[in-house]
Amino acid sequence: MLFNSYPFILLFLPIVLAGYFGLGRRGNLAPVIWLALASVAFYAIGNWQFVALLLISIAFNYGIGHLLIVAKLGPSQRKAALALGVAGDLLVLGIFKYAGFAMENFNALFGTHVAVHILLPVGISFYTFTQIAFLVDAYRGQVAAYALPHYALFVTYFPHLIAGPILHHKDMIPQFEREETKHPDAHLILCGVIIFAIGLFKKTCLADGIQPLVALAFETRSPSFDQAWLGALAYTFQLYFDFSGYSDMAIGISLMFGIFLPVNFNSPYKATSIVEFWRRWHMTLSQFLRDYLYIPLGGNRRGRVLRYVNLMITMLLGGLWHGAAWTFVAWGALHGAYLCVNHAFNALMPNMPLALARPTRVAGAVLTFLAIVVAWVFFRAVSLEWALRVLRAMADPANIVFGREEIAALVLVAIYASLVWLAPNTQDIMGYDHGNRRVGEALRAGGMRPLMLYGASLVLAFGILGIQSHSEFIYFRF
Amino acid sequence: MRGTFIHLKRLLLASVACVLGAATLTYLVDPLQLFRPSRLAFYSNDTRVQNAGLIRSQSFDTAFIGTSLAIHFRQSDVDRVLGVHSLKLAMTGSNSRQQAFVLEQAIDRGARRVIWEMDDFIFVDAADIETDPYLSVDLYRRTAKGIASYLFSAAMAKESLFALLRSIPPLRHPLTKAAPYLPVKFALSDIDDIYALPRDFDVARDYNSGKALASFAYITAPSRSRFLGEGYDYDAMVRHFEQDAVGLITRHPDVSFDIYFPPYSILQFVAMRDASPETLKIVMDLTAHIAQRLTQLPNVRLHDFRAIKAVTHDLGNYGDVIHHSPVVDAKVLSWLASGQYRVDPNKPLASLDELKAQVEVYRVPQ
Repeated sequence: MLFNSYPFILLFLPIVLAGYFGLGRRGNLAPVIWLALASVAFYAIGNWQFVALLLISIAFNYGIGHLLIVAKLGPSQRKAALALGVAGDLLVLGIFKYAGFAMENFNALFGTHVAVHILLPVGISFYTFTQIAFLVDAYRGQVAAYALPHYALFVTYFPHLIAGPILHHKDMIPQFEREETKHPDAHLILCGVIIFAIGLFKKTCLADGIQPLVALAFETRSPSFDQAWLGALAYTFQLYFDFSGYSDMAIGISLMFGIFLPVNFNSPYKATSIVEFWRRWHMTLSQFLRDYLYIPLGGNRRGRVLRYVNLMITMLLGGLWHGAAWTFVAWGALHGAYLCVNHAFNALMPNMPLALARPTRVAGAVLTFLAIVVAWVFFRAVSLEWALRVLRAMADPANIVFGREEIAALVLVAIYASLVWLAPNTQDIMGYDHGNRRVGEALRAGGMRPLMLYGASLVLAFGILGIQSHSEFIYFRF
Repeated sequence: MRGTFIHLKRLLLASVACVLGAATLTYLVDPLQLFRPSRLAFYSNDTRVQNAGLIRSQSFDTAFIGTSLAIHFRQSDVDRVLGVHSLKLAMTGSNSRQQAFVLEQAIDRGARRVIWEMDDFIFVDAADIETDPYLSVDLYRRTAKGIASYLFSAAMAKESLFALLRSIPPLRHPLTKAAPYLPVKFALSDIDDIYALPRDFDVARDYNSGKALASFAYITAPSRSRFLGEGYDYDAMVRHFEQDAVGLITRHPDVSFDIYFPPYSILQFVAMRDASPETLKIVMDLTAHIAQRLTQLPNVRLHDFRAIKAVTHDLGNYGDVIHHSPVVDAKVLSWLASGQYRVDPNKPLASLDELKAQVEVYRVPQ
């Protein structure tokens, strides 16, 4: 089921909200069970064939977690339990996500023709990573015992289940346990509706609005210089508004239930370096990769060379996490290389002269953005060959068309660029403070109320009017 | 708490009012001319949507349809050369289900003659027209769902707003001039310009042997040659031909059909010969079947332009292996008018045999 669909907005969400708060009058557990069941139903609509896999994954990880948290195991047994849990998760992920890719490469290497066709269960990357973090923390002794309904809800919670953010049990489960969240909070619902409206508008009007331009670069056999750049920039902005829109909608929906989701997106194209970009883009994935991959690999504690090796490994695996294809590996490798260069630059130039600070930041922002656009070409292209073709066109200013279509595309791209760089993000507009569980203080104070309310109603209206029947989120495929 | 719920209610009601306001605006402006014809209307190149309005708002006696090979024709040229009052409904990448559906609507609205550019690949398997995500049957049929999808659409509200601004006298001229360069769909002031190449278009730059040969090399490269036969299944294609083409033609015996096989470059068939001979066989067998069937139908005149060596062997006429220049468009109209390459019902396979012989002996320039 899509957030940007009439059945979800007009039927599913109101029913689940009404049920949640209705049951909230009777106790603290029933709404949790209701929400978990609703989440499974949300997943089942459209993905019914993978519901059993999701439930088995929850049971398996909860069982392993129980061994690590409650059972009195010796150190080696605990290690074995963790190894079993993580290996089990990775095995399932590997089979469903990477078996076809592995076989394709095996066939290419050895000239065989073995075909593997396995459908990718939607959201498997997200719920697997969420649970691996849970197991690792349980092993580290950082998890209190959780009841099964709360754990099941933590994994299946429908605002995040299909495309993130990657949740952390320490953040979420205590919120599910709080009694106050079971009673409707008008302020949180209002703020949730406004944030949802902004996200819906970003997705249906902005991301879907620029999507046709992407074909200029990625569906044209031999794009010209301007077409390649316009197409690549269009994809850069489409992905931005698609993902940002989804993240806002997830936060908005969750807020209606009184639950604060972590911020996953913080104006990443305003970053002045790649390091900063990764602190602003898909923030929960970056945190996961840092805490559960980069640091366990040794992080920056084992010398400069190994730090760069660890960065490359982390980004290569991060790339592969996004999809089983060499284009994603290339994308990860590029970002790994960018990060190495960024860290090397910081090491060589620790203190920038004050006079150069501002121009360096501007140059850094431009260079960072260009590097990101180049990397997105690999992310979007259907093959490495196709990506290289687009990049070759982007490097050949002799071949320019610049007809009416390209001029119209340029106008649109310029509008999107100004939105990305000049407009405040949703957190700023709404004063969303995940850490302190605060939102919309300005709205509550009343100073901006009429403007925000009527502005939000317009945004919501256009978000709803922009709904198209075939408009999945890009991150659904990961 | 109570106050905040009132704010929430106010927000939702204001949203409903905005949605209804946008729908009213679209209804009044009616950029697609679905409800009423307009002298001040503008047109869009998005033909799958635009055709729904054109069929409703235009007067015509002839419908002209096809794929991207028929997209650049100008209605005025068709009218002048063939002496008809035409409506161009060609849709890039369209399949036979879409074409037959759109033609059926046009016939229901008064078309007595159909000119149909027929490619073999339109008969490959595709979604049923009732579930086709790329063409809204509800919009064409003006069902409640179709009208709702038109009225409750942010994209149409944006077009309507732009049209409204364009109707304000001081803004009319600058916005009309700027429209083709702005991200609005309904930007063409003349119906004749729908998907037509600009009159100052540099033909030589986009149609030349270099481009045609590069395209040939591209599609015959070993890594891509399998795409040449993608979707080609003889039985399925015959089935679609019978359902979509023959079905439509026999349902409308009072409508005359001029159907033509377009003049692809010879490279199209040579690519199949060299890289995918089984596909070439399917194409030849299929077109033989089509020729035999269509020439037996009393309301069909079939024209075959694929063996006109002077055009198909001159690679300077092409932008790739199949798409020809506007110069050839003009020739196609004159051939249709003269009936010079009409297939003889007594010898339906003669031109196909000629083409087969040409394909066999042709050698690609190195």
